[in-house]
Amino acid sequence: MERQFYFYSGKGGVGKTSMACIAAVRYADQGKKTLIVTTDPASNLADVFEQSIGHQITPIQGVANLWAMEIDPDRATEEYKDRALAPIRAAFPKEMVTVIEEQMSGPCTSEVAAFDRFTDFLDTSQPTEINFDIIIFDTAPTGHTLRLLELPFEWSQSIDLANQGSGQTCLGPAAAIQDSKLKYERAMHVLRDPSLTTFFFVLNPEAIAIKETQRAIAELKKLKIETFQIIINGIIPAHETENPLFGARAKMQSSYLQQIKTQLAYPSKEMFLLSGEIDGVKRLRQVAEIYFDNKNFEEEAQTSVKNPSVLKYDREIAIPHIVPNGHHRTLFFAGKGGVGKTVSSCITAVWLARQGYRTLLLTTDPAAHLGDVLDVPVGDSAQAVPGMPNLWAARIDPKSAADEYKARILDDARKRGRPEESIKVMAEELDSPCTEEMAAFDKFIDFASQSEWEVIVFDTAPTGHTLRLIELPMDWNQQLNIKVFASVDSTAADDVTKKRFNEVIAMMRDPHRSTFAYVMYPESTPILEAHRAVKELATVGIQPGLVVVNQLIPRESATTPYVKARRDMQEKYLGEIAQLFPIPMLQIPLQPSEIKGLAMLSKLGDQIFGKFERK
Amino acid sequence: MEKQIKQENEKTLKIEIFDPPMCCPTGICGPTVDQALINLNEMIASLQKEGIQIDRYQMTSNPHAFLSNPEVMKLVQEKQMAALPITVISNKVIKSGAYPTLEEINEVLGVK
Repeated sequence: MERQFYFYSGKGGVGKTSMACIAAVRYADQGKKTLIVTTDPASNLADVFEQSIGHQITPIQGVANLWAMEIDPDRATEEYKDRALAPIRAAFPKEMVTVIEEQMSGPCTSEVAAFDRFTDFLDTSQPTEINFDIIIFDTAPTGHTLRLLELPFEWSQSIDLANQGSGQTCLGPAAAIQDSKLKYERAMHVLRDPSLTTFFFVLNPEAIAIKETQRAIAELKKLKIETFQIIINGIIPAHETENPLFGARAKMQSSYLQQIKTQLAYPSKEMFLLSGEIDGVKRLRQVAEIYFDNKNFEEEAQTSVKNPSVLKYDREIAIPHIVPNGHHRTLFFAGKGGVGKTVSSCITAVWLARQGYRTLLLTTDPAAHLGDVLDVPVGDSAQAVPGMPNLWAARIDPKSAADEYKARILDDARKRGRPEESIKVMAEELDSPCTEEMAAFDKFIDFASQSEWEVIVFDTAPTGHTLRLIELPMDWNQQLNIKVFASVDSTAADDVTKKRFNEVIAMMRDPHRSTFAYVMYPESTPILEAHRAVKELATVGIQPGLVVVNQLIPRESATTPYVKARRDMQEKYLGEIAQLFPIPMLQIPLQPSEIKGLAMLSKLGDQIFGKFERK
Repeated sequence: MEKQIKQENEKTLKIEIFDPPMCCPTGICGPTVDQALINLNEMIASLQKEGIQIDRYQMTSNPHAFLSNPEVMKLVQEKQMAALPITVISNKVIKSGAYPTLEEINEVLGVK
């Protein structure tokens, strides 16, 4: 059999990594040489296998035939830069080498580099050290993954256009990526071949997850990728319907399971919500038996709570980090995709609006869920939310932002009387993927610098993406500082741009004006990811303000052993959160149904934030 | 006859531009549009239409073009960044530190 490629996709937090790892362990145990690779900038393979992995193919202890690798975007960038810089280092003066190195630290380079490394694995024409039978990709969350997979098309186009035109492209001069063009074509060929590649979509039986999966499948179909399977995860076991909270959730799930059957008619398999977590090889094998062999769902070991006394609920000290204090305030909700950033930001924004603050709710997530949660349509510009005075909402769609940006630049070129031919070349250049990133960030600053909002609540994109987005101004600042070749009129424009970026950076760093709230489930992986994100942001001078713990099972609902086991597990993690994040904590209780609509958001806001006297 | 000679001349003519480091040579992918670079691209397109060969080199992708031209390397070693961009016509440096105008190029080419 030829080498197989399995992609695990889906909204973050649905158990994508766990399912990919269960399959990897199973295949390896069957004697197939298996490699599991992650391209997620906030990877958690190491957490699941309980060993360090890193940016190289690493054998997994305790499983013969299994290897793993975490593609580190920073390392990939370094390697890519080293390759490109080797001949330059040898011949050019040191100062110039430094300038080129700085140039290559822009966001384009890291996108190119990470993708370049990723396609290496798909290239079956290259001999590899280990002859893998199966390569499993634990891919990044959907929006990001799709962009990554869409790249080869945009790139091939860019490269072709560049060859016809000026001989240059934004992604690096065309000549330099000619070799890569073949590699990307081969990669696309592999992705499209049903005998080689399968996409597994992991989802929970929930409305947003179904919508997201349909959207993702439609996007892939557009790229002529058509081999899909569905894994429905987190199904509440039948014996738990006696618990009122879980019974209500099971009822909600059953209608969604029906919907999945009709609307996502692909080969599918179901997996129960376990009362304990999945980490360590032993546990992976055990869960593989439940999943693949339909072994009976047995009562699992219960977690003991070590420090219930450290549990805290800091409503009083959290509120000053949420309301404006004589300044405008921007709230950023950070965390792994799917942990409830949208829900948290909606509850907070609705609560703020009800306290009388002019509030703008904003999303930068390419797979925006804001409209779904608010239950009102959300567009590209700030629009008043009907039925909620003081609340406005907007979504930044990177694609339409890029179109707008493109139109603006081309209009200006026409006004300057540039010939149509020149405008055509510019339009082609502006079709590069980098334009989207740039344009989305430009929009983000536009909203952030509007003075009419007392509070802006940002429902940010998943962690890795968010970090890159937020790190952008730093990178561009570096580039702008060394833009020695600028013409007179663009030097003036650069000064304005730089001032804008510097203001945004200063705002993000100022705890009186910005609050970074980290959203997570009380579970191992989301906690570790949030902690990594905190550390990464600290390196750019941004301190965490709040922790939001989502889907916490209320103590009074823990009436059955199964639910009690889950609640105990959560309490253990609440203790860990309190230790890892010495900042105020807010808690969102697990609801019997999905959090949706202004009435439910208002009620939850009162429950979470309580009464507040606006001064 | 005269016309033929002129064509011969143009065939052997080669304009080379050694760029400073930049994100993209069209000048439109950065946070602001660089009008000077767009002007340059328009000039290149119009010269190419007349059958003149123009090559642009960047240090990251064409380091060998820099290395194989001693005059260019000498300027780079001496003045570093200030030397770039460098324009070379028929192996002679005609301008350094800024892009040439169409007039400057035509002057070297002997075109009115």
